Parts: sequence; C-alpha cells; structure tokens
Amino acid sequence: MLVLTFAAEGAGNCVEVGSVPYVYARTARGAFVLPARCSHRGGPLHLADLDKAGVRLVCPWHGAGISATRLIKKGIPAVRWGNTVTAVFPVPADTETSTGHLPLSRDLCGMRAAN
Amino acid sequence: MSFTPNHTPFELDPARLSELALDFASNPIYLDNEEWQNTDNPYRRQLRPQIIKYLNFSTPLPKEDLLDYSALAANRLLATVYETDMMFLPKGPMTAEHWADFKSFYSSTNRARGEMIRPYLERHVFGFLDDIEVSGEWTKESLVAYLGRLRDQPSVPMASEKAIRESSDPKRAARNWLIQFAPDFLSEASPMIRNAMGYYGPVQSEWFKIIIDEYGYGVHESKHSTLFERTMTSAGLSPDLHRYWQYYLTSSLMMSNYFHYLGRNHEHFFRYLGALYYTETTLVDFCERGADLLTEVFGGEVDVEYFTEHVHIDTHHGRMALEKLILPIVEQCGEAVIPEIVRGFEEYRAIAQLADDDFATQVAWMDAGPQNKKLHDPVWKKVESGEVTAPVAYIVEPRGELSNTHQHDGDELCHIASGTMKFVSGYDSHQILEAGEGTVIWRNRLHGAIIESEECVYEIHSVGDYRACLS
Repeated sequence: MLVLTFAAEGAGNCVEVGSVPYVYARTARGAFVLPARCSHRGGPLHLADLDKAGVRLVCPWHGAGISATRLIKKGIPAVRWGNTVTAVFPVPADTETSTGHLPLSRDLCGMRAAN
Repeated sequence: MSFTPNHTPFELDPARLSELALDFASNPIYLDNEEWQNTDNPYRRQLRPQIIKYLNFSTPLPKEDLLDYSALAANRLLATVYETDMMFLPKGPMTAEHWADFKSFYSSTNRARGEMIRPYLERHVFGFLDDIEVSGEWTKESLVAYLGRLRDQPSVPMASEKAIRESSDPKRAARNWLIQFAPDFLSEASPMIRNAMGYYGPVQSEWFKIIIDEYGYGVHESKHSTLFERTMTSAGLSPDLHRYWQYYLTSSLMMSNYFHYLGRNHEHFFRYLGALYYTETTLVDFCERGADLLTEVFGGEVDVEYFTEHVHIDTHHGRMALEKLILPIVEQCGEAVIPEIVRGFEEYRAIAQLADDDFATQVAWMDAGPQNKKLHDPVWKKVESGEVTAPVAYIVEPRGELSNTHQHDGDELCHIASGTMKFVSGYDSHQILEAGEGTVIWRNRLHGAIIESEECVYEIHSVGDYRACLS
C-alpha cells in the first residue's frame, strides 16, 4: 500500500500514481479521491459535471457515467483536514509518483448545492 | 394506548445556555482569585463568571477563532465539568474551607448544571473538527498502512521545543511548558478509565492493561502522575492540582479536554482509538526529546524519569494500541468503524498542532515583554493625537486588585494614567508599568495584572491590530 499526502485544491492537487492521475473532488454529497482519467477512453474526469440528480459524474468526452456515491463509499480511502489529503493507494509502496496540478469543474469544487 | 409520548432532543436556546453557563460559573469556588495560584485546593478554579454574559457558546468556533477568549472560557468550564467525575483530595489536612469546597464541587447542583451546558461547550470547542472528512473504502490493510506512516516519520523537534531553546529565558519557558501538561499528567489516564467500564469483549481487557501501566501497577511511586510530580518539583514548581490554573493556555486545556470529550461521549469510542494511537506513538520521540530538553535547560538536577519511562513504555503502548486494540476491534465490529478511527487520529493531530503553535507563540509573547512595553509610546501617541480611535475602557482599581488571567480577541493598548501595575504575561513573566507607561497586548495571548499602588487608573484601548497603528 502507498500512502500519499497532497493538496485538496490549488497547486499540487493532482498526484500521479504509476500512470494514473488522481485529484480530490468535493461534491454536495461528499468528497472522494477521483481518478482524473475516464476508464472508457481516458477523458478528463476532473472536468466532469454531475448529472441533474447530482449522483453521477458525466465524462465530458463521451458521456460515460460514474457513480459519485460509489467513489465516496468504495473509492480510494482518504482523509482530508483543511487543504491536506492523505490517501492510501492499493499499489506497492515503491510505486513511482509525481505531483502536479489539474483544474476541477465547478461541480467537483463543491460549488453545487445538494438536491 | 391513548398516550403518545413526545420524545424531543435536549436543546437550549442561546439565551438559556448563557444563563446556565453563568449559573454554573457563579459557584463561589469558581470566582476570581486574589492570588495568582491556587494553594492545595483542587476544587478552586477561576471561571470569571462576570464575563460569561458577553460570550456566545451556542455555535462551533471556526478554526481561526479557537484561541479567542470564548474558547478559553469554554475550555475552563469544560475541564471543570469533566473533573466533577474524578476524585480529588488536597495533599494536606481538610480545613473547613476544603470541606465546604469539596461538598460544593461534588454537589448535585454543580454536576447537574455542568451536565446541561456540557454538550454545547463541546460543540463550541470541538465542532471545528467536523471539517475532517473521511471517504473511500477503508480496509484493515489500508488502515495499517495509514497508521504506519506516522511510526516511520523521523523525530523532529516541535515548535514548542524550539521556542524554549531559543527563548531569552529558557528556564521560565520550560517551567511554563511543564505547567501546560499539569492538567493532563497529574490525573493521567483518567479519561481512558471512562472506557474501562462496561462490557465489550477482549479489547476491554487490553484497554485495561494500558491503564495499569499508567497507574504504575498499583505502586504509587511508579504511577506516572507521581513521576510527573517529581519532574515539577525538581524544576522548582509545586505539583498541587491546578495550582497554576491561571497559567494554562486555551489549547493546553483543549488537549486534556479532548480525551475527556471522547471518553465521556461513548459514541466517539472508535475516535478515541485513533487518537490514542496518535498520542502513544508520537509520545516516544516527544518524551525522548523532552528529557534531553529539560536536562539541557535545568542541568542534571531535573528529574526526567516521567519522560524516560514513556520512551520505554509507549513503544509498547503504540504497538498495543494497534495490535491489541485497533485491529481486534476492527475484526470484532467490522471495517465500517475504520473511518471513525482515522478521524480520531486526525483530530488529535490537529489539536496537538494547535497546542504546539499556541505555546510557541506564548513564549514569544513572554519574551517580548520589554519590547511591548516600549511599543506603548508610539501607539499611545497615535491614540492621544486622535489618529487612531478605538473602543476604550477607563478603569480604576485599588491596591491588590488582581485581574485573573484572560486574553482578548484583538490587540489592545494598556495605558497607565496613574499608579503602578504589575502586568503578567505568563508564569514568572511580568513588566512593571508606571504612570505614563503601558504595553501593547497581543491578540489571543494569556495575561493578567495586579495593582501595586494605592490606586491605579488605566485605559484599555481595543486597537485591533497594533502594527496598523504604527504605519
């Protein structure tokens, strides 16, 4: 297992583990660690909006839906305090990592109210 | 059944809460002291009831306001409420005053009034921790990896330790440091005992083993509080319970109150496990550095066994907390409890960080006494000339009048019009202020004063930010 600390927002909010970038997303229903690349064709999930019901992320490339509830309950285990996120990734502890920045959609910055 | 019961949650509106807090604090044993210290009377604590009507305990304090006066007042109240569950006796014989105070402290009136305000005070002081968010699917394996990272971190001196070493008066700073631990260490592990009662399986027995260590296996000389008493005595301090009540910082009380809060509210049992792991694991390095620091400051005469004992025993306690408490409880209750364990770990880390910064700033505040006295002149000039206008209080006090310690929510300027004031900024830390002199008082910094002339006339100007007055 690999434990990493990164920023919830702003500079350093993206951590690349192996070759997968992750960001911390905050929605009205809860927060979660989000793989920033869609598993369908690699679309930018960090720019995804939520559907009208506010429960599924919609990939901006092909409209693939990803359950936010699943990411909250079944996603990468993480804890956030202030702007610091600590997450435990299910990969070997010596996996290569890097930190960068990715912009987030308004819905993933916690700017949309719960329905 | 024709009767339909109406079950409603216990709630107090802000006005009623304030009234009840004042009722509690108005107990004669909690009124202002005429001395700086409480002498061998564990029931006396100064709660400054005269200020309570100006405070609002009804909402959680935001993180940036956790050292405001409201937090100090709430933490003093909470410490007092929690401790009515604990047994305290003076070291000397029970005088008539002790008997009266003993009965008053443990009276049903005192306990019932404290219990009514407790949930609101807890929310006021600890509500900011609701910002901690735990998400995702936690498993035993991810929990072990997460907790293990703390154990593997290098030992780095804390801001408090650095502040003591670099202080203009390291002995004074170190004594103030020891005083901050007294509310916790003199009744060490008492909050843990709150979870020793009940019936919850093998973990209960493991929990008890840690308590047995803390209590020195029934040998009073080995009890951790006895070891700490020896440290205090050897550093020139007295180990009476709450002798130094007026010198406790907000965050020091908060650290001690936090474990009472977890232990008193059993719905937070799993958080207690996470917080316990954090404290037991970090104490090993902390106590090793603490023993070195005290020896460096006081020389070989200081008794550091309290610290060296913890270097040894907490190596076991950190492991026991993980292997004998946390992992078995996850096995027993399921992985759904892990987010609470993680939350407790992060909560205590956050509070410990706050306390470290608070103490380091207090050392800087004590050290800056002479400079703050000099800063009076330029700030006073701006006030006198009308360039700076701020709310002002004009105060006249007689000889011996003691302003019990408190702090303000913004910077203030104290100006002495006539007479003499001893301005106190911590244990063994003061400036004498004569007519025409004064001092700048930093926001959130604990201080008090005593009048040393027949009468003292002085002014307190709430300037907000004294640095802005100098530009």
